[in-house]
Amino acid sequence: MMKKIIYFLLIALTLSSCEDVVYVELPSDQQRLIVDGLIRVNNGESNTTVTIKTNLTNSFFEEIEPLTVTNIQLSNESGTLIANLAESSKGIYTANISTSLLKEDTVLLTIIYNNEIYEARSSFNASVPIDNLVQGEGTLFNEDETEIIITYTDDPDIDNYYLFDFDFNEYLVSEDTFYKGEQFEFSYFYDTELQSGQSLQISILGVDDIFYNYMNQIIVQSGGNQGPFQTPAGTVRGNIVNTSSIDNYALGFFTISESYTQTITID
Amino acid sequence: MNIYKICSFLSTYFLIMVSAFAQQKYTINGTISELNSNESLIGVEVIVPELGTGVTTNEYGFYSITLPKGDYTLIVNYLGFSTVKTLVNLEKDTKLDFQLEEQAEVLEEVVVLENIEKTNISTPQMSVSNLAVKTIKKIPVVLGESDVLKAIVLLPGVSNAGEGSSGFNVRGGSADQNLILLDEATIFNSSHLFGFFSVFNPDAIKDIKLFKGGIPSRYGGRVSSVLEIFQKEGNSKEFKVNGGIGIVASRILLEGPIKEDKAAFLIGGRSSYAHLFLPLFDIDNKAYFYDLNTKLNFKLNDNNNIFLSGYFGRDVFSISDSFVNTYGNSVGNFRWNHLFSNKLFSNLSLIYSDYYYGLKLDFVGFKWNSGIQNFNVKYDLKHYVKNNLQINYGVNNIYYQFNPGKIVPSSADSGIIEEQLIQKYANEFAAYIDVEHDISKKLSLEYGIRFSTFNRLGQSELNVYANNNPVDFDEDLLIYKKADPISIQTPGRKSSLTTFNNLEPRIAMAYRINNDNSIKASYTRLAQYLHLISNTSSPTPLDVWTPSGPFIKPQLLDQYALGYFKNIKNTDYSLETEVYYKQIKNRIDYIDGANLIANNAIEQVILNGEARAYGWELLFRKNEGKFQGWLSYTLSKSEQRTPGRIASPTNGISPLETGINNSLWYNTPYDKTHDISLFGSYDFNEKWNFNANFVFQTGQPTNYPIGQFEFQGLTIPYYGDRNSERLPNYNRLDVSATLNPTKNKNRKIQGEWVFSIYNLYNRKNAASINFSRNNDTGVNEAVRTSIFGIVPAVTYNFKF
Repeated sequence: MMKKIIYFLLIALTLSSCEDVVYVELPSDQQRLIVDGLIRVNNGESNTTVTIKTNLTNSFFEEIEPLTVTNIQLSNESGTLIANLAESSKGIYTANISTSLLKEDTVLLTIIYNNEIYEARSSFNASVPIDNLVQGEGTLFNEDETEIIITYTDDPDIDNYYLFDFDFNEYLVSEDTFYKGEQFEFSYFYDTELQSGQSLQISILGVDDIFYNYMNQIIVQSGGNQGPFQTPAGTVRGNIVNTSSIDNYALGFFTISESYTQTITID
Repeated sequence: MNIYKICSFLSTYFLIMVSAFAQQKYTINGTISELNSNESLIGVEVIVPELGTGVTTNEYGFYSITLPKGDYTLIVNYLGFSTVKTLVNLEKDTKLDFQLEEQAEVLEEVVVLENIEKTNISTPQMSVSNLAVKTIKKIPVVLGESDVLKAIVLLPGVSNAGEGSSGFNVRGGSADQNLILLDEATIFNSSHLFGFFSVFNPDAIKDIKLFKGGIPSRYGGRVSSVLEIFQKEGNSKEFKVNGGIGIVASRILLEGPIKEDKAAFLIGGRSSYAHLFLPLFDIDNKAYFYDLNTKLNFKLNDNNNIFLSGYFGRDVFSISDSFVNTYGNSVGNFRWNHLFSNKLFSNLSLIYSDYYYGLKLDFVGFKWNSGIQNFNVKYDLKHYVKNNLQINYGVNNIYYQFNPGKIVPSSADSGIIEEQLIQKYANEFAAYIDVEHDISKKLSLEYGIRFSTFNRLGQSELNVYANNNPVDFDEDLLIYKKADPISIQTPGRKSSLTTFNNLEPRIAMAYRINNDNSIKASYTRLAQYLHLISNTSSPTPLDVWTPSGPFIKPQLLDQYALGYFKNIKNTDYSLETEVYYKQIKNRIDYIDGANLIANNAIEQVILNGEARAYGWELLFRKNEGKFQGWLSYTLSKSEQRTPGRIASPTNGISPLETGINNSLWYNTPYDKTHDISLFGSYDFNEKWNFNANFVFQTGQPTNYPIGQFEFQGLTIPYYGDRNSERLPNYNRLDVSATLNPTKNKNRKIQGEWVFSIYNLYNRKNAASINFSRNNDTGVNEAVRTSIFGIVPAVTYNFKF
């Protein structure tokens, strides 16, 4: 949450500045495997559709292309196969499996691509329900903003990390350090005035501290403007390990998250 | 070596020095001040041409010189003031105070002083930049607000991250490596509104000195530079007001006698107008700053002066009351000048200073504050032993209290639980001796040593890690990540966690080739115990200071500098050129993705690395005449690296850990290969004065993406080696004109108009280039942010 502060400072600053699109010559890197493996386990459903997307990285001004790999499978640590994922359309792999298999044990993801083996592990991360979701009247930086107030109650027994999916590819992460065990409420502001009657799907996902940190970084790096407060940007590495060739690493993450979702219709 | 040994060493040394002379000699001492205000003058030369020797006044306008019995001419010389010549028949100790009169704007004649020592080439002090407040006020700046920091970045070896960035960088060092002293008190944040203004009100300032190297042993605690600023004492002759009204801020300064010639006050205030930077429509918001300078001085008698001074400044941002951000410095100090004898000057300072950062975010339901406080006791003595020997020595003790952050709920129904991040405490003690010694007419030395000891005091909780290692390396993913503590200690306030001791030798020499040419060299070692936790290219107000301790080692600097100094046509022109090389051990660096905000265990994201910088500086100045100005050029390199922690004996690079940036040296954000500044000021006539400055800098190091990937609908650019690319080169031309209406002559109120144009050719200098997907078009873009285009401004200044 505190991370946001820096953007408030920034917005204050950049309002007095001007922005324009420029062309710059970019350095290049080899193309790498991208694994989009956030498995959302909807609370209460006995079966879960697991979807994993594979793509190939590209230079920043080029298109990212979906990628067909040799094989994707899930198994547990002892080597028992849970599922082989089938390619439903190019670069999108799915399987429908019993939710309990995802909750029980550490799950191992194995991808074979280009004769190399990529692996990642995750275990189930519980979440908490959304207590309340309402639209607010407030605005922060411009009149067009739409405020959504979300309320949830933190689990007092463990250190919780949450990922909020506010639809439209807008995400926010939060850790419970300062509200452990409390009912907590905060406002999220969409930049634009959302149309009346539009419905939003908002989810709260339980994550571990590594994925929390990962999302925190990629939200920053995808968000663009850091202005003069630039931090040294690097390659945000996820948890996918190329066991055949360590330097030929993949990008992306594999994690299993419990998700509670509510829908709200804009007034 | 313990403190006791150091002290006994110092006192023995001192006794030897004192007993070294026993001739029939007498001392002339006194203070030198400005005629109309009694404001004491710093750095005035008192020259004895018969002996080719001289002294300069200290920070309190005091001088003392000891000469054999005889007849002498004393020449009192200070740039911008009329020179005074007096004949002295010295047959007893004599007290001689001088009052100098400011010269008229346009120089009619230049007093030619031949065969006398010129301080700029003969003193060993090098790598120093002095700027007269008068000059600072002439430099055209954005929005017409004259500014100390904007002026010093026009000098060689000094730069900043450009518009909208706080602080400044000296010889490739970071902003937190500058010791900024306002009336001897440490200022932790030098900028208002993200660097648009500095916290120093130019009307209240008397003298500015920036040490980039060859730093005398009386200073310590920061490794890059010392910026020493003295506030005016206040006019003890008559009541004066001056001020200015600008397009973004106004200021006023009142000064006058409390008791004529004996006591004076000064009070100055400055404030920007609200709604400054947030031209939002229909939303209640504010963005402004203000500051207040005060000073009282009392001349108790010939031997005792007392000064009380204070500074208070705040920046305030607020948006509809749901986002309120306040931060700033406050400083208070008490100083007592005491003359033990006509040769022994002392000053005792008791100083309090703090930095406060506060934030209220109603829509998340919390308030946050953080800060640093320190209590500083200083006792400094200056002993004018004889005309070629001055010994300065003293002690200094600073107690620090660090509040990394406290969170409290902003309302009763907020889910936030009040929590105080672990407060940290430390004590820094230092003792120094500094000898200014003219060995011969040709060779002068300044040498000294500083002993500093830093004691990190106990705190409520301290994490304990396996192998004492708070950062783990993941050998599969090749990344650093935080280690989990294995236990938590509760050391308590009374214990001591770690102590660091450092001996910091300093030596500087000047060899005078002839009257107009000299060569200087210096070596400086400095230790810095405080670190600003910041991994942005320029500091943000939110950054917190943290002390060295069990996991963070003090930064240690070794700097070598060599210079050539030349006066041309007497002192009409001067040329200074220097080369330097410096190395810093234990420069902290942050692992990729480090979260520094509200982090209660900052050691988990930090590694100790090293830094180095080297460069060549050139400063050519025209000091006299209708046209004055300078050309400054710097060619430099500034790098850092953080290798893996288990170094292999062969190449220093760990086979087990990658280090940060694969253990390779990389450019610091302050690495500017070329830095050129040109400043000129022309007095056209009594009415008009014209000024211009031009700046060119190599673009700031940055990163461009080497590729992109997608995750959950987000498009994420990713980057290669750190700071391997650069922003486009920076350049800009500013001009200003000052109008002194002729009708001023017989009026009580003196007015002055300053018209300025910043960035005359409207260059869009990139403050940053950001890479992201445009959500409206779905196309990836590189977006350049530039802060100021062309900015015209007008300011009205007045005094009466």
